[in-house]
Amino acid sequence: MGWRRGIATGLAALVFVVLLVSDIPLGRVVVDGTLNGSVIALVALGIAVVYKATGVLNFAQGELGTLPAFVVLALMLNFDLDRTVDPAEVSGLAMVGYLLVAVAIGIVLGVAINALVIRRLVDASPVISLVATAAVFFLMVGFEAVVFLPRVRTFPRFIDGAPCLESQGGECVRQLTIFGSLVLWHAIVVVAVLAIAVVLLTLLFRTPVGVALLAASQEPFAASLSGVSPRAMSMLAWGIAGGLGGVAGVLGAGVFQQLFPAMVTRDLLVLAFTAAVLGGINSMPGAVVGSILLGMVSSLTNEAALTFDVTGWVPNPPMAAAFFVLLIVMVVRPRGLLGKEA
Amino acid sequence: MTDVLAEPIPIVIHQAPVHRRERWRPSRAGRFVRMAVLAVLAGFVVASPHLIGAIRINVLSTAATSVIVALSLNILIGYTGQVSLGHSAFVGMGAFTAGFVISTLGMPWEAALVAAVGVGAAQALAIGLVALRVRGLYLALVTLVYAVFAERVLFNIEAITGGGGGIEATRPGWATGDVTYAYLCILGVAAVWIFDWRLTSSKAGRAIEALRDSERVAASWGINVTAFKLLAFVLSGAIAGLGGALFASVEQLIAPLDFAFLGSVTFVMMAIFGGVGSRPGVVLGALVFSFLAYGLERLAEAFPDQPINASATPLVAALLVLGVLLYFPGGLAQLLRPVFRWLSFGPWKSLPSQLVGEEA
Repeated sequence: MGWRRGIATGLAALVFVVLLVSDIPLGRVVVDGTLNGSVIALVALGIAVVYKATGVLNFAQGELGTLPAFVVLALMLNFDLDRTVDPAEVSGLAMVGYLLVAVAIGIVLGVAINALVIRRLVDASPVISLVATAAVFFLMVGFEAVVFLPRVRTFPRFIDGAPCLESQGGECVRQLTIFGSLVLWHAIVVVAVLAIAVVLLTLLFRTPVGVALLAASQEPFAASLSGVSPRAMSMLAWGIAGGLGGVAGVLGAGVFQQLFPAMVTRDLLVLAFTAAVLGGINSMPGAVVGSILLGMVSSLTNEAALTFDVTGWVPNPPMAAAFFVLLIVMVVRPRGLLGKEA
Repeated sequence: MTDVLAEPIPIVIHQAPVHRRERWRPSRAGRFVRMAVLAVLAGFVVASPHLIGAIRINVLSTAATSVIVALSLNILIGYTGQVSLGHSAFVGMGAFTAGFVISTLGMPWEAALVAAVGVGAAQALAIGLVALRVRGLYLALVTLVYAVFAERVLFNIEAITGGGGGIEATRPGWATGDVTYAYLCILGVAAVWIFDWRLTSSKAGRAIEALRDSERVAASWGINVTAFKLLAFVLSGAIAGLGGALFASVEQLIAPLDFAFLGSVTFVMMAIFGGVGSRPGVVLGALVFSFLAYGLERLAEAFPDQPINASATPLVAALLVLGVLLYFPGGLAQLLRPVFRWLSFGPWKSLPSQLVGEEA
């Protein structure tokens, strides 16, 4: 074990020295990282809930977000898909309604996937279940491509712009910044929604139903002897994952201000898997912590790439950083930061 | 009395007559019919580059490279029970290695092929060393992230891959024609098939197969579980690299977009749909998926007033895989088992007493 701790300490020291000698603005890295990590966390939480309760790695978690987002977009456009949505005509209050619609659609989708596919594969190997969720992913992407056509569409934010601290004659002269980083309304909404989701999940796991879910995930047979139905618990977990997916879809599409088939999968799912392993794949707090850490690593690499001017020969530094973070976690601590030994 | 005791008592061991069950053999007519059917199939494969027509010939070559990649996944999934979601990156690394060796270094195609296989094996070794130490689905996760890393970072380093514009990979001088190159790709499939067949009948192959059934039992027989999993993964990566090198010269130009990470999922679905663990099944699965878009296009041409077109390909592919997973977990191979058994000179129906012909 000693050499692993050595690697971890050495890497930490290296990062620390680099940060000391360079003038990377740390405060900005932390703020940006938290804001970016919160969107990843919404997807990673869904992955962790399903993995903990049913042991299935859910490749379709991203599409549990994209598909509800598409339905919401169709509602915004009154099902006239040739139009483009005008962000100005969607109010913040309407967005709350749309978010709830997306959650409802996500829950229905999650429960349906569980009932139609996952429940029939209870005895199959984890690899088969993973491939099944991948097939479900393709089914949903295929549906999106056929119904909504494979093109990039605009998607509105919750509230455009950033909070204004000081205005002169209707013009904003000072917007909200923390450590020099502009904080958009949309980012505040994402963090707030993530906080609400975490609080609701924490409360859920204190009710008898939540305890039953945890029991069924730890010892399915013993739990079923105590009257806990593993089927019901699997359905509950997939419902939660679907609801989280719907939130991640609408908010994630807002972050990028665009929507296209397989978008959440392409832009967030892989980072969410990395974050889940970093935090511990069978830990829900770990998913959130891992996501926010990964968000910080991403913005740190972005800043570092700009500072040391390597953007020319390293394309997409955050993705490279995510891959190396995953490798380091696999070598140093495969169970993740908050995960339990398997 | 003493005399009687002195007599040696004859010891009679009742030995059961040696009764070895006869290996089931087809009749002479049956053998003839099977050989005729096999000959027709072989003739169809040999004639396929001429049958498909000059415009679609590259669809066939690409399909052959997909078959190679699906067979490489079969070694991993079918024999160790692990899965890789990074084979698009492995294929891409093989392809870009070939392109780099041919275009930038100006070396012959054969050298590019060897380099692509070597790079495929080396990256699998590196990733396997990190991910295979831990039990569970971590190999799937690490390879998935590697696929995205390769797509968005590695394949966009302009000095090596030519960036978004891509890099050229010209064909070998002796196979510049489309038809000749299609034959080369089919030859590649045959080589991988024979390699896989010899592997499964070797000692290492049997050790790898024992892992799939139970890691603990395999370990108790003295099989080094991690080392053989790693071996299977490295072989899989090397064959995927070969598939990539062949793929690079189909269109003779490769770009990062050819190796999007979602392609990995398609490769896995090909293998699962065909039925992992069965070579003919996996080959058929890969062929079905490769010709799906082509088939849908032809259907759309045949029924212009029906709402069918190639954009429904992922939808149909997903329905095929889900149907197989839920109703025939063994894939096409399970569905066609009597056919495969019959073709390998066994009976159509499996007999309780016969132990041969299961493996085609």
